[in-house]
Amino acid sequence: MTLILKNIGRRYGKSWVLRNLFLEIKDGECLALLGPSGCGKSTTLRLIAGLDIPDEGSIYINGRDLKNVSPSKRNIGMVFQSYALFPHLSIASNLTIGLKVRGATESEQHQKVSSILTLMKLEDLAYRKPAQLSGGQRQRVALARALLRDPEVYLLDEPMSNLDAQLRESLRPEIRSLILQGQKPVVYVTHDQQEAMAMANKIAVMQKGNVEQIGTPNELYNSPASIFVASFIGRPQINLLPPESGIIKGIRPEDIIINENGINSKIIYQEWLGSSKLIMLDTPIGELRMITSSNDQIPECPKISWDIKNEHRFELTTHKRLN
Amino acid sequence: MIGLLILPAALLIILIFGTPLIRYIWLSFHASSVITGLVPIANKGANWQRLINDQRFWQDSFQTFRFAALSVSLELFIALAIALLLNQKWRGRNLVRAITLLPWALPTTVMALGWRWIFNTPYGPIELIVNLIGLDQFNILSNPNTAWLATVLGDVWKTTPFIALILLAGLQTIPQDLYEAFKLEGGSNKEALFKITIPMLKPYILLSILFRLAQAFGVFDLIQVMTGGGPAGSTESLAIYAYLNAMRFLDFGYSSTIMIGSFILIVFSSIFSIYLFNKFKNIQGYSR
Ligand SMILES: Nc1ncnc2c1ncn2[C@@H]1O[C@H](COP(=O)(O)OP(=O)(O)OP(=O)(O)O)[C@@H](O)[C@H]1O
Ligand SMILES: [Mg+2]
Repeated sequence: MTLILKNIGRRYGKSWVLRNLFLEIKDGECLALLGPSGCGKSTTLRLIAGLDIPDEGSIYINGRDLKNVSPSKRNIGMVFQSYALFPHLSIASNLTIGLKVRGATESEQHQKVSSILTLMKLEDLAYRKPAQLSGGQRQRVALARALLRDPEVYLLDEPMSNLDAQLRESLRPEIRSLILQGQKPVVYVTHDQQEAMAMANKIAVMQKGNVEQIGTPNELYNSPASIFVASFIGRPQINLLPPESGIIKGIRPEDIIINENGINSKIIYQEWLGSSKLIMLDTPIGELRMITSSNDQIPECPKISWDIKNEHRFELTTHKRLN
Repeated sequence: MIGLLILPAALLIILIFGTPLIRYIWLSFHASSVITGLVPIANKGANWQRLINDQRFWQDSFQTFRFAALSVSLELFIALAIALLLNQKWRGRNLVRAITLLPWALPTTVMALGWRWIFNTPYGPIELIVNLIGLDQFNILSNPNTAWLATVLGDVWKTTPFIALILLAGLQTIPQDLYEAFKLEGGSNKEALFKITIPMLKPYILLSILFRLAQAFGVFDLIQVMTGGGPAGSTESLAIYAYLNAMRFLDFGYSSTIMIGSFILIVFSSIFSIYLFNKFKNIQGYSR
């Protein structure tokens, strides 16, 4: 049982905002869509939900082509980037409206609403209107509404972008277990790669309507398929060395080590990150970022190198991975 | 501080709206007619006594209510349909939008004359069509049972566009993603109309009702031109009755009493109609 997007294309006027998109998400699998603003993440979700129609390709849930299935019949739980809460209804009614339309009993509605409100730490707000909530509270209501029913597919468009870091981290495991226990495909859009790595079993990195690479967080980090993926995944950003005989080498800041036989460098500045620190180095091959433990004593002009097997090599013209 | 700042505006409003109101209330407790030589003489509420026992006043109240209730509800329904239609995307929508507004731009007197001609017996187009089909004459404007419906039609024709415009403005404030979210929750288009569109239009509908009720209760020019209050007083409104007392019978004291009396009725029925509207929505379970 899977959600499949086959060769999806969508254009506005003459410009394609999605092209040749293939995705396959199995039951119980969470795919994170990661990519810069405007790369087509929300559009992908809207196509799956049926709120937008692809110009090319087909979408299947459990082998069924969704072409002529209206959005209301697709049974999709979606968090909108804009929340889309009903302003004239209380939080409780916002949550039950879908259950009501589908004919759930009063007691079932009540039980589901109170358990999701507790999970989302919203118990006290059940009878408020959306306008009386903070941005983060509204977002939690939107998330609660999507999680409340037992949909065929979960589509979450930046569901935690407006929460503070602490709340986000405390909600992550619970939401993760909730969406995964449903044993349904989950598509999770986020800007935050850390969140993507925490929530998803697979990540698709998108750029300008194309998927650059799909893989486990591990694969993306250890063998990025292109320079774009390499720079998008991993913070601080990967160091890209000047091209040399048609090859661009990338080396992660955490792979740079102090070595007496290495190249000369000079510290430009340091940034303290807590347990580690980021050091900006001026070297003959350009500026390099390096991560070390906060406790390490680094001389003013360290000699540095890296293990050759930690090098990522990319083709100069196509930016594709070579090794 | 703020109180001080709004003082000039407040004074102006009191001067413009308050003075005549107080003057009329004062006048309603005085005899002021040809008999008194148009000099107001206090008569200890005799005008009000007369009003309460005045058959014609109550008949006219009933007729005015009947006119207002039917025309305002018709206008709301038709305007909602028009607004929903104009809110959809289709070719030529902007042109239709402009055309829809035309009746509102026409002076009431002009369009009332137009309707009088349309309903004219035997030369108006309606009677001509009726003749062509081979039916008897309708005599719409000379039959007490149909004349008031003709005035309602004139009113609906003229003011529906205005309400449609208010409702259209309201519709455009409803974000599209609410409809999308509602669809994903499994709702149909029909359910969306009752669970999203109408509840969210509520302030605009209330505004229209208030505005139009007040206007319809005071209806004067339309009826004056179309029927002059006839036949047999069957279309006479409170405003026309008050006008007759003042301008034809020159009884300013009693005319003021009628005006203040209808003012009280209007205030109460406006409050009542809004109460009804809210109640209707609660029964449907839209708000909470
Ligand atoms: N109705 C529309 N008409 C024209 N272009 C559109 C429309 N909707 C979206 N686009 C374009 O499609 C592209 C993808 O938009 P989309 O909303 O999917 O981006 P996104 O990846 O979700 O971005 P963000 O991270 O900022 O939410 C954007 O370049 C946007 O300008
Ligand atoms: Mg988006």
